[in-house]
Amino acid sequence: RGPAGREMAAAAFERCVLRRAAEHHYLRVRLELPDGGARPNAAQFKQLVVTALRELHGEVGAALPVDVLTYEEKTLSAILRVISSGLVKLWSALTLLGFYQNRRCAFRVLQTSPFLLALSGNSRELVL
Amino acid sequence: MVRFKNRYVLCEVVSEDPRCRQCIEDRTLGLAVRDAIARVHGDYGLACCSISFTVKYLNAYTGTVLLRCRKDSYRLLCSALPFVRSLETRAQRYPCFLNTLHVGGTIRTCQKFLIQYNRTQLLRLLQNCTNEEERQCVQKSLLNCSLTEEQSQSGDEEEDDGTE
Repeated sequence: RGPAGREMAAAAFERCVLRRAAEHHYLRVRLELPDGGARPNAAQFKQLVVTALRELHGEVGAALPVDVLTYEEKTLSAILRVISSGLVKLWSALTLLGFYQNRRCAFRVLQTSPFLLALSGNSRELVL
Repeated sequence: MVRFKNRYVLCEVVSEDPRCRQCIEDRTLGLAVRDAIARVHGDYGLACCSISFTVKYLNAYTGTVLLRCRKDSYRLLCSALPFVRSLETRAQRYPCFLNTLHVGGTIRTCQKFLIQYNRTQLLRLLQNCTNEEERQCVQKSLLNCSLTEEQSQSGDEEEDDGTE
């Protein structure tokens, strides 16, 4: 009965395709400060992200649940997590942010993915 | 057929201060609503809602306001209306709030709703009358409104019926 049962189980399979099922989206971003100066720490970085959202999308945008998962002060790069419905708002707010403490700044979005594991490898920096 | 569709939002300005009625103007109200949208939805929301935004109709006696906006952004407008907390004119600030009564696709549907709403409001006023004078006034104006050619309007009555 064992082998027969396995054969039956192997013949019948089901394929599930889930679209847009991920709850969160992850972004690896880098802040560029061409004019130099004091670098923001983690709290100031989060404040900067929330300020960008507030300028472009108001109080509703500033209330978007954004988390800074990692932050490196040396390279000014961070991994952000945002709820999937808010990805467009966050990315557009980061794109249009121009000033940090009256210094020019720019956000570069390096990678984005609905899976955190996918941010560990970057095919752009692959050395062949 | 591709045309620009609008949404007309019918609201009522409610204020405890009776002087607020005098300062209800289309420009001040428009500025107050746009300011609220800018606070709640930011630059993007303000630009979205301002595309076809005007104050179409305003009645200072009843505090009825009709706002117009694009169909794509009427939800942004409606969600920002509770954040209008005061009207400012000439360095005077009156606290008030906006009650949304109806959202319609054309001015005609909003007018139909307003006529119906004003009828029910007049009846409710009659029930809530405290002294006999007020009761007589309201009853007279209720009996007077009719769709006739000559406009017989009871001028001393504050509540204006929408039938014209």
